[in-house]
Amino acid sequence: MATQHSRAAARFMIAPSVLLLLGWMLIPLGMTIYFSLLRYNLLMPGNNPFVGFENYSYFLSDPTFLTAMLNTLLLVGGVLLITTVGGILLALLIDQPIWGQGIVRILVIAPFFVMPTVSALVWKNMFMNPVNGLFAWVADLMGLQPYDFLASAPLLSIIGMVSWTWLPFATLILLTALQSLDSEQLEAAEMDGAGPVSRFFHIMLPHLARAITVVILIQTIFHLSIFAEILVTTNGGPGVASTNLTYLVYAESLLRFDVGTGSAGGVVAIILANIVAIFLMRMIGKNLDA
Amino acid sequence: MARAVTPRRKAINSAVAWTLAILIFFPIFWTVLTSFKTEAQAIADPPLFFNFDWTLENYVTVQERSNYFRHFWNSVVISVGSTLLGVIIAVPAAWAMAFVPGKQTKNVLMWMLSTKMLPPVGVLVPIYLIFRNVGLLDTRTGLVIVLTLINLPIIVWMLYTYFREIPGEILEAARMDGATLRSEILYVLTPMAVPGIASTVLLNIILAWNEAFWTLNLTAANAAPLTAFIASYSSPEGLFYAKLSAASTMAIAPILIMGWFSQKQLVRGLTFGAVK
Amino acid sequence: MTNLTRALLGASALCTVAGLAAAQETTLTIATVNNGDMIRMQGLTDDFTEQNPDIALEWVTLEENVLRQRVTQDIATNGGQFDVMTIGTYEVPIWAGQDWLAPLDNLPDDYDVDDLLPSVREALSVDGTLYAAPFYGESAMIMYRTDLMEEAGLEMPDSPTWSEVMEAAEAMTDKENDVYGICLRGKPGWGENMAFISAMANSYGARWFDMDWQAQFDSEEWNATLTDYLTLMNEYGPPGASSNGFNENLSLFQQGRCGMWIDATVAAGFVTDPDESTVADSVGFAQFPNKEGLDNHGNWLWAWSLAIPASSNSTDAAKTFVAWATSKGYTELVAEEEGWRAAPPGTRTSLYENEEYQEAAPFAEMTLNSMEAVDTQQPSVQEIPYTGAQFIAIPEFQGIGTAVGQTFSAALAGQMDAEQALSQAQSQTQREIDRAGYTD
Repeated sequence: MATQHSRAAARFMIAPSVLLLLGWMLIPLGMTIYFSLLRYNLLMPGNNPFVGFENYSYFLSDPTFLTAMLNTLLLVGGVLLITTVGGILLALLIDQPIWGQGIVRILVIAPFFVMPTVSALVWKNMFMNPVNGLFAWVADLMGLQPYDFLASAPLLSIIGMVSWTWLPFATLILLTALQSLDSEQLEAAEMDGAGPVSRFFHIMLPHLARAITVVILIQTIFHLSIFAEILVTTNGGPGVASTNLTYLVYAESLLRFDVGTGSAGGVVAIILANIVAIFLMRMIGKNLDA
Repeated sequence: MARAVTPRRKAINSAVAWTLAILIFFPIFWTVLTSFKTEAQAIADPPLFFNFDWTLENYVTVQERSNYFRHFWNSVVISVGSTLLGVIIAVPAAWAMAFVPGKQTKNVLMWMLSTKMLPPVGVLVPIYLIFRNVGLLDTRTGLVIVLTLINLPIIVWMLYTYFREIPGEILEAARMDGATLRSEILYVLTPMAVPGIASTVLLNIILAWNEAFWTLNLTAANAAPLTAFIASYSSPEGLFYAKLSAASTMAIAPILIMGWFSQKQLVRGLTFGAVK
Repeated sequence: MTNLTRALLGASALCTVAGLAAAQETTLTIATVNNGDMIRMQGLTDDFTEQNPDIALEWVTLEENVLRQRVTQDIATNGGQFDVMTIGTYEVPIWAGQDWLAPLDNLPDDYDVDDLLPSVREALSVDGTLYAAPFYGESAMIMYRTDLMEEAGLEMPDSPTWSEVMEAAEAMTDKENDVYGICLRGKPGWGENMAFISAMANSYGARWFDMDWQAQFDSEEWNATLTDYLTLMNEYGPPGASSNGFNENLSLFQQGRCGMWIDATVAAGFVTDPDESTVADSVGFAQFPNKEGLDNHGNWLWAWSLAIPASSNSTDAAKTFVAWATSKGYTELVAEEEGWRAAPPGTRTSLYENEEYQEAAPFAEMTLNSMEAVDTQQPSVQEIPYTGAQFIAIPEFQGIGTAVGQTFSAALAGQMDAEQALSQAQSQTQREIDRAGYTD
């Protein structure tokens, strides 16, 4: 159906989006690469001499770098695991006939609307604070010592907060997918004597594959650059226990104001993100057209 | 899906589902509740549920101190503005990709999505310097531009997945009847695409409303939205849980209410074409 | 869309009318920290706008660490987003040296620059020119609960040593009832935990660098400092200490959770405020501790000050505001509204000569003595290549201090012991300082 004419028109219609994104990507990226080759510290204005790859070797030789990479992976992986598995279970449950399904859905979807700064502040102060937080009170009730979440398990605490926001997202996508499942197919399987577990693995899970892919893709995009939650709760600490790559680059360029090293870190982060992107795109590309 | 289950089974399922839902919702409930307490009651041990003197004092304090309404208006302008602008740019692109797919279409789409994976801190300083030079720091225009660009890939993708579901035959038929490209879009496509556009708009307003990196770093006072408003309640002096709760409630209430009212459209929007 | 347009039109029409009514309006954007005195100032600005109807004020109130990042970024890139910035004695000389700040000359006659405390004035001046006006000034001291000390059968000397502090902390700790013997800063940041730990290190005879800019964290003095700090906090401190900064500790003290708190003198006005503090009647004050045999009480000196970036377009209006906020008149205004106890401390000699203030503020004398005792030229008892106080007055210190602060905070959270933390701090610091070229 595509004629020569409509192809030209299509290109013309896609052009604005592509050009804008290209500009948005290339101009700052070009500047970042340029800065990364300079000795450029905001606090010490001067002539910003060209230093080649010095900033890169400084950034990469920082022991924090490996920790930050690991933390980034743990953060993304942890949140994905919790939200996907939790989302499937929750979706299966809500998909059952229950009373007040509408209200349950409204309650479950709510955290997704909460902005990250608010969620982080509320969790940090009103729940996880070991003196006045609600968790400390619960621990006290059970005769336990209050647990200092953000100091003793900072990364896990942040994974928890982020998962709270994104669990609704996963649940809703998966729920919608479940609801589109042909019930006759399930009934037929039931007649054939397939138990609930086997029905889940042989019919439901394959049906959900596409939805799960989407959940993973969208969340990865957002979680690779988690920032606000870390800034508000732990500032990347204690030590570097909750520093991810994003936060490390932030610390270099805006806490130490070493824009040169920060930019080098930015370039490294961009390269790593692109590796993840390529990997993901392969996966999603296959699944989306299937 | 109406499957027959025993009443006993239904009762158990309901109980479990309700318990989980209430647990998930509890932090929001607790925040709202705390916002009506005094500071001392907010940290009372044991925690107070309903047996306290309800007060609106915190809301008054917060408004006096931080001018909530101006931040609120900034949030509205920025999130709605960037979403509408994004949709205007994205509709033609998504339309073309859906109906005139070429060999590169999928790659272009994937490339667009991959731009969203660039860590924003990597380019903060350049953007800051550019904005300074063109006078866009601390302006709503500046934020609308940035948020349009960062959400554009998501908008294109969402619209694309909707448009693809519109059967091509209808367009063929319209073309047979001699419809021009313009009328094809206006009279055939648009009515069918409206639900998809609506949910795209809704989701992106939420994303833009909650965006906390660029809005915090590129604004000072004039254009600061609610994300910046809430930042001033991070560890202030003395007791602050009640004030923090009031500010939090004010920051999330508008979007929460909007989200609840448009739940149906939104849920559909959230599928990203995951459900055929 | 039409509704939106209409609303926008309506709003701009309103603005025009308001603008005409108020004649030529200048809007000042003021960046400040969310500490109690600044919040109070925001509540009192009606007085300023009445006197200056043509100047409108916009506040950007941020948490300390965030504020520092934002204003530094803005001024270093010449962003021009702020007309008045709240900065401290660390930033002023460095920024003034870069020509980033507008000099505060030609202040109104009744401003009385000579009334400013000499140590504070000097810290905010470069070559005799004032670059920032002090809003409040502080040293550090001990605030303790007289009732708890009495219960424990102890007495706090006016100038205790660290071992006496340790003893008192142990005696007052009652974890069953959520009372902790001592609260100290643990939240990472060069101006948060490192302010305290550096001051403590000064009083232990430690130094950051030797004369060749070699980091000194491997010294015995630092080891003693950090070990004692960790012992104090782990044994007698509150849970969650590694995320407690000034404001968090203030809140804990006001709730009666701390037996002792060693921090900025400015806190005294808040812990003795009967409206905010449950322990207002039973707070005593003592000098910052020293180590036996060492005459060094930490040398903590800080003044949150208002400065005007050179990039501001409204320098004159900004100057008017700065002069108002740091004037004697403002002090009187606070006294009138909230009592003399609440007056911003530590900036003006006249305040400390005021009998009403001395009577209302039992901490006045201790504050003044602490501030006057500070030597910013020689904060350590050993030979050092730097000046400073609870900070090192070099631009790199923000980065180094924050990194080391993170490490010490990790030690406090139990992720490593004092030895490991010190050796990590040593290599972090040396790495940065070598790169910056001090050791070349």
